[in-house]
Amino acid sequence: MFLAWREIKYSKTRFVLIIGVVVLIAYLVYFLTGLAYGLAQENRMSIDKWDADGIVLADESNLNINMSMFDKEQMEEIEASEKASVGVAPSVVQLENQTSEESKVNITFFGVDKEEFIFPEVIEGEEFNKDKEAIANISLKEEEGFEIGDEVSLAGADLTVEIVGFTDNAKFSVGPVLYINQPTYQQVRASGFGEREEEIISAIVVRSDAEELGDVNIGSDDLELYSISEFISNLPGYTAQVLTFGLMIGFLVLIAAMIIGIFIYVLTLQKSSILGVMKAQGISSAYISRSVIGQTFLLSVMGVFTGLGLTLLTGLLLPAAVPHQYNFIFLLSITALLITVAVAGAFLSVRTVVNIDPLEAID
Amino acid sequence: MKLIELKEVNKTFQDGRKTIEALKPTNFSVEGGEFVAIIGPSGSGKSTFLTIIGGLQSPTEGEVLIKDQKFSNLDEKERAKKRFNEIGFILQASNLIPFLTVKDQLKLVNKIKKTKLDEQRVENLLSELGINKLMNKYPSDLSGGEKQRAAIARAMYHNPSVILADEPTASLDTDRAFEVVKILARETKKQNKATIMVTHDERLTEQCDAVYVMKDGVLKNKQEE
Ligand SMILES: Nc1ncnc2c1ncn2[C@@H]1O[C@H](COP(=O)(O)OP(=O)(O)O)[C@@H](O)[C@H]1O
Ligand SMILES: [Mg+2]
Repeated sequence: MFLAWREIKYSKTRFVLIIGVVVLIAYLVYFLTGLAYGLAQENRMSIDKWDADGIVLADESNLNINMSMFDKEQMEEIEASEKASVGVAPSVVQLENQTSEESKVNITFFGVDKEEFIFPEVIEGEEFNKDKEAIANISLKEEEGFEIGDEVSLAGADLTVEIVGFTDNAKFSVGPVLYINQPTYQQVRASGFGEREEEIISAIVVRSDAEELGDVNIGSDDLELYSISEFISNLPGYTAQVLTFGLMIGFLVLIAAMIIGIFIYVLTLQKSSILGVMKAQGISSAYISRSVIGQTFLLSVMGVFTGLGLTLLTGLLLPAAVPHQYNFIFLLSITALLITVAVAGAFLSVRTVVNIDPLEAID
Repeated sequence: MKLIELKEVNKTFQDGRKTIEALKPTNFSVEGGEFVAIIGPSGSGKSTFLTIIGGLQSPTEGEVLIKDQKFSNLDEKERAKKRFNEIGFILQASNLIPFLTVKDQLKLVNKIKKTKLDEQRVENLLSELGINKLMNKYPSDLSGGEKQRAAIARAMYHNPSVILADEPTASLDTDRAFEVVKILARETKKQNKATIMVTHDERLTEQCDAVYVMKDGVLKNKQEE
């Protein structure tokens, strides 16, 4: 580290430029990770909020909850340590006295039963007590200006609900969730499909005490039990999104390794006569290689952490509408990964160091 | 005691189908406190001779001993270690590391040996060479003579038993060259080292205890000529 530091101090401009490149790459990687994670979260947040283990859907729905529909009475046949029913309906809403196109918001209704475990915790206002009352995700207040007491009308239906409370972490398909009671849900649903006799729900969410949902029994051929993780990875677009971002991030990390590796390699080649002198003095290849690698470590630590700082700063300045979110474990592993690949890139130069002939230092 | 000893050392290079014998079989030794000069025309084999002594290349035949111990027959890693401990190199141009201050050039030795910098010794050594005021300067801020003196300090600092200098005065004017050689001679006596200096300038050999002439790979004592 002695040589590594002294050289960085001596050739400041050169190393500041290299660190600058590392900062930019790290910034991009962190930022993309934040976006990817944010987007993924907005797809699944409301499901994670259930804190459930499994979900029962109509057999024919092909794991698409929007297409799943069955009679609520079937819930009685299901055996599980805890169960809750939910009706899901995507919709478009608008504050009642507004008419402009921009004021329309894509949301998803979750029809839930107050007695069941998926009922959301209210962070502002109150729980609903009667029909046509709704608990909304807090983002509707922050981004759309919804307030408690506001009447919200459904596009294309003669139905309004009143916002009585707000909850958090309730997003589904990158849009906010509005929780309503199940009788109201029947009306929402009916607005698209016509009246029905029986009470319709989309899914039954279960908690289980056994491995792999072993204690859950659904007792019906029309229904199918899935684990929550399987359900999430089959959310429309979810896996494709995660894969796309994952690939981009993976490639960026690889490119980072290559760029740093090449930089260090060129620096090593440039220094080869100095390194030859060192070797003539009896300084071992191992010592020189260690300091090349140590230097890369220093450069990447400085670059990566500056990139991290910039990312967090950008995160503060970014409007709430951009889905971005940072998760401590992700940040930590990306940081470790970037530094590791950078250092791995430096190993490209070790061979060069070993092959430098001290004799060249002589003439 | 013989600090350096060469027994029947020769070196041949293969140049296409031709074989060049850059150094003919040579016996040679230097004792502690002895300052030896090697002169001779360009291409006569002086550098080859010196680098074999320093272990930068292996002899084709024969062996080099340092303090009666095997040196040239050791493997690369062991040789580097012994070179680091026993030999101080002073090369033609700057063999200083450009991004280290004069003091840090010496400190590097401590870093590698994992010992503490001996401030007193640094101060003394640099004062003796007349460059203690330049301690915190980088090589690029030094004149040619100052650089060479810094290189001598670097070569002396870890107290090697042998000092090898290949044309240490090549980049200096005559006055500076004389001064540097004088310093080398003085330090050799004072610290009882064996110093071998290659030069093409015969006037610089006044301070030396013995002068050898290299010609076509044959090393002869000047007095025998
Ligand atoms: N690596 C080598 N390969 C081939 N020939 C070499 C090599 N090193 C030195 N020689 C030859 O050996 C001879 C002596 O070279 P050198 O020791 O450098 O002479 P000097 O230092 O006295 O000028 C020269 O003829 C040179 O061409
Ligand atoms: Mg030469």
